[in-house]
Amino acid sequence: MADIRLDALTKQYPGGTVAVNGLDLQIADGEFFALLGPSGCGKTTLLRTIAGLENATGGRLLIGGTDHTHTPAGKRDVAMVFQDYALFPHMDVADNIAYPLRIRGLKRADRRAKAAETGAGLGLSGLLERRPGQLSGGQQQRVALARAMACQPSVFLFDEPLSNLDARLRLEARTFLKRLQKELAVTTIFVTHDQAEALAMADRMAVMDAGRIRQVGTPAEVFHRPANTFVANFIGSAPMNLLPSTVHGNSLRVAGRSLPLPDGAPPVADGAAVILGARPEYVTIEPDGPGTLPGAVSIVENLGASALVTVEVTPSGDDPDGADPILVQAMVAEGSEPAPGQRVSVACQRDRALLYDAESGDLLEGEAPAGHPGAGDRATSASGQGR
Amino acid sequence: MTVHAPAPSHSALPPISRPPAGMVVGQFVRRVLFYVVIALLTVFFALPMLWLVLAPFDANPHLNITIPHFTLHNFVVVWQNPYAIKSLVNGLILAVGTMILVVVLGAAAAYALSRVRIPGRDALLYVLLLLSSIVTGTAAMVPIFLLMTDLHLINSRLGVVLVLTGGLLPAAIFILKDFMDSTPRSYEESAKVFGASPLQILRHITIPIARPGLATIAVWAMVNAWGNFLVPFILLNNQDLFPSAVVVYTFYTEGGQPQLGLIAAFSLLYSIPVVVAYLVVSRRYGFRFHGGIKS
Repeated sequence: MADIRLDALTKQYPGGTVAVNGLDLQIADGEFFALLGPSGCGKTTLLRTIAGLENATGGRLLIGGTDHTHTPAGKRDVAMVFQDYALFPHMDVADNIAYPLRIRGLKRADRRAKAAETGAGLGLSGLLERRPGQLSGGQQQRVALARAMACQPSVFLFDEPLSNLDARLRLEARTFLKRLQKELAVTTIFVTHDQAEALAMADRMAVMDAGRIRQVGTPAEVFHRPANTFVANFIGSAPMNLLPSTVHGNSLRVAGRSLPLPDGAPPVADGAAVILGARPEYVTIEPDGPGTLPGAVSIVENLGASALVTVEVTPSGDDPDGADPILVQAMVAEGSEPAPGQRVSVACQRDRALLYDAESGDLLEGEAPAGHPGAGDRATSASGQGR
Repeated sequence: MTVHAPAPSHSALPPISRPPAGMVVGQFVRRVLFYVVIALLTVFFALPMLWLVLAPFDANPHLNITIPHFTLHNFVVVWQNPYAIKSLVNGLILAVGTMILVVVLGAAAAYALSRVRIPGRDALLYVLLLLSSIVTGTAAMVPIFLLMTDLHLINSRLGVVLVLTGGLLPAAIFILKDFMDSTPRSYEESAKVFGASPLQILRHITIPIARPGLATIAVWAMVNAWGNFLVPFILLNNQDLFPSAVVVYTFYTEGGQPQLGLIAAFSLLYSIPVVVAYLVVSRRYGFRFHGGIKS
């Protein structure tokens, strides 16, 4: 059991590419922590740097309070599960699970017994004599987990643990992994590019982009109050509506129409350019009236229990830059979706909408409204960006 | 062929059910020709094999195939020949020596080339492969002879092994590198995170996974060295050091007649190590690779 601390950790490749750019991060003991980001954002490099497979070129890495920045891989008391599981094809399941114990010099009989015990805990009892090639994807994943557990490390590192499973199995494995992590209470970092996975499994998560952390927080914080437009766009099954607008006194002008300012919005100078952020889940279809955006339904996507409705907002005549139509997406309950082409009005829930600075894309924070903690994490995310 | 109702009128039937007579004959002739050619080819390849198996046991072998007057006398002649058995041992020393050098050096080079990115790597490999056939070929024999003379490696088994190894290595590296490329790096990295030392990774992971490929290359190198005539013929001039491939060239009477009984029996003995090596490897590995994973 150990906590992990990164101090300005940097990894620059010989070619000059900075994959991890001065990251500060603290992961508590026993936490299930997700590193989320698009491909090439440096999340896997960060994981490999923590494992010791890549050498950090700057900063410090502390595991359990000990500086492990330059400790060779294998001496850090961490176990890693690779994306392809990396099960040795020439060993049977029991030998695979027992491999870390073989390195520690345990006798063959002892380690086979320990492997059988660990395997039994993961439902692998009948499979111990098989080769990895004879296992299904889900079974291979459990063997890889058992192998990581066999050496009883203080930190687990999972690189895209679910990406090799089919969609149905992925849901099962998600629940299974989360339960297993809670039972073992071992600090776990996992890398994923799937925001749904991160939201579902993690205690806390970091959203990364281009080698930097853009936001750190609990899944609820990251979902409800994305710290910038990048995170707002990346998180959520449908991306957040980001509407360019200007502030006019106590209201916002969007496409030449007037909308009320969101609750808890900070004071913004009159005429300042901002971006109004509203998740499709918090956009409603209303009768035409003040504080709504009128438009025509262009597309209705059926998502099962709900439908995603895209509305093309009609700019008002006095809009100076009304040439570009604005698209707003709204999540509507099943059965109440409008027909394509129908004229409707959309409105944002004032207590859920957010304002972003139009230039930097950062969230404009007022006093955090009750029930939305998250101000406490701003320091972490800000220092991640500041470098 | 059966035709079911409704029966078509007879006038319409013949063109469908029976092709013109010329076509039938043409098809028949083509068939016959095909089998004749196949039979001739089979005989062409099978006859030498049959001779190899029958002639050694024939009391009076000729360059034709007859039911032998069974005898083991030819093997006694081989045993009594001052060079025959010795040459088999010499041949084995050269073949096994070459095999070990090719496998060890080839595996090490292939592994390094597969894991480390160096500029111009692929071009280097192709050029090596292209030039390798020259090293053991006729074209380079004079410079190689001069080189070996300067190195005092004429009449030395080491010299022959080195030249043979040099000729075989590029192709071995080329094949083994492809094989190592198909083994994911994550196997080694996984072992590394669990604390395995480089030597342990090599012993536990890399070599066992590469073993079928290494075995294939080993047999291939051995067979090549075992069958090579030119290199030992040029680099060795002491008959006590001649391998079998060279010695069989000396099995003539003073009158210049080939000693067919001796040659036949010796040839059979000569082919045994190769067959055994293939059988062993094919049995254990089936000349298949099991590296890589399903993804």
